[in-house]
Amino acid sequence: MQTRRRFLRQAAALGAGGILTNAAFEAFAGGQGRVTLPFENGTRELVAFPQKRPLIVLTSRPPQLETPFAVFNEGLLTPNDAFFVRYHWSGLPLSVEPAAYRLRVTGKVDSPLELSLEALRRIAPPLETVAVNQCSGNSRGHFTPRVNGGQLSNGAMGNARWTGVPLKAVLDKAGVQRGAVQVSFNGLDQPPLGDGPDFVKALDIDHARDGEVMLAWQMNGAELPLLNGYPLRLVVPGYFGTYWIKHVSEIQVLDSAFQGFWMASAYRIPDNECACVEPGTTPSATRPIGRFTVRSFVTSLADDARIPANRETLVRGIAFDAGRGISEVTFSSDGGRTWQPARLGTNHGGYSFHEWTARLTPSQKGPLELKVRATSRSGETQPLTPRWNPPGYMRNVVETVKVVAV
Amino acid sequence: MRSVILAVIATAAAATGPLPADQQRPVTLPRETAVYVASDLPGYQLVQKNCVGCHSAHYVTMQPPSSPRAWWDATVKKMKKPFGAPFPDEDVAAMVEYLVKTYGAERATTPARGRNVAPRREPSTR
Repeated sequence: MQTRRRFLRQAAALGAGGILTNAAFEAFAGGQGRVTLPFENGTRELVAFPQKRPLIVLTSRPPQLETPFAVFNEGLLTPNDAFFVRYHWSGLPLSVEPAAYRLRVTGKVDSPLELSLEALRRIAPPLETVAVNQCSGNSRGHFTPRVNGGQLSNGAMGNARWTGVPLKAVLDKAGVQRGAVQVSFNGLDQPPLGDGPDFVKALDIDHARDGEVMLAWQMNGAELPLLNGYPLRLVVPGYFGTYWIKHVSEIQVLDSAFQGFWMASAYRIPDNECACVEPGTTPSATRPIGRFTVRSFVTSLADDARIPANRETLVRGIAFDAGRGISEVTFSSDGGRTWQPARLGTNHGGYSFHEWTARLTPSQKGPLELKVRATSRSGETQPLTPRWNPPGYMRNVVETVKVVAV
Repeated sequence: MRSVILAVIATAAAATGPLPADQQRPVTLPRETAVYVASDLPGYQLVQKNCVGCHSAHYVTMQPPSSPRAWWDATVKKMKKPFGAPFPDEDVAAMVEYLVKTYGAERATTPARGRNVAPRREPSTR
């Protein structure tokens, strides 16, 4: 686990500067209506849910909302009202009384805790971290062959400045006992009826105590929107969103690996280095999904955008990985035949979106295939051909945007 | 089911002191618009009875049209166990029949998409 990046006051500057705007593009970020995602059966409604601008509706009950991709060109921090939403069960709290809210810490601890939000805030000085949250199945709709599940394009991700206390401080106050193996997390959302498995996730004890995993009550300087986990959510920097439990209310320290459905049966990836198998085949062994793979996107231009021939266009985008940070981004405007280094923007910490820009002057009119490829400080880079797995997780192939020089 | 959750929260709220300024008011979720495509297949009535209690029709309508019968069958059964949907085993076959023939690999034509509104294209990388 990385130890860089503790406190990111400068993150306040993230929202504004250096953003290339595109008027035609921004029009997509507002207003109700419909969009068509670029895969078969991709037509979706745009609907404004409480505390949200109109977002792409994957499912309305429970709410699963995707961020329109144009939002990622508005700034490096994803606004709270545009941040994606993902629930598993429709039994979600429609109101939470903060004064009555309690976080219980039980299990293999010396002193079980029942903390009010106020008591929680007093446990340690606030920690701020800029970190990407990304759904495991972000981009699932782009898998070939297609896989079932939430048919998302690339908008089930977001970058926010999270404020909270380190989970470690809470666990230390409770006093983790010898023999602790994992810590499980449950929130207020629950199955609407029947005996379905409550959405509970677990982290290894060392991960839970790494000082970076946090219990956050703010994102981007404001309290969490209800649909993003008000009043408290787990933030697990560098890890897929499945672990970022919303409305977190129960923490249990366990002396064996948690065996609930959402760890033992769901959110599992092929147990090999690429987390992939031959398309259409079943992995021989699986493990729980974990860290992000490295990704990058063009955000200033979308498919079918027109740019001037023989004049310079500044192309902009984002890159991120699981926390080591981005060391290099390369850009191609000829479908990957030749690559040029992109310029990296200010580093806001390893867990944040990292801005990149590249100058592009098409020498003639006609179609151009733009590609972008990021490499992390660990040397991990994006594959040129997509990896495939049955649940449609962790897509990170080099993406292509097709534009036209005119 | 929403009332169950609210009741739980209301109970928890019973013994409290003064409220902080940032109290969260109850939110109202937008009216649901997704519906199942009407059909003479008996499974149409069954999915309305057995599925809509827990989730919107989107879970079905968004799936790739190539989705094979085996996937619909496994998914309907998964809704029963482990997900806890209380419909009888006898309903499964007819539900699967309706789903695969309306939304999946055995559909005759593209399913109706609801209101006839010109789609706008979501700019996105491919």
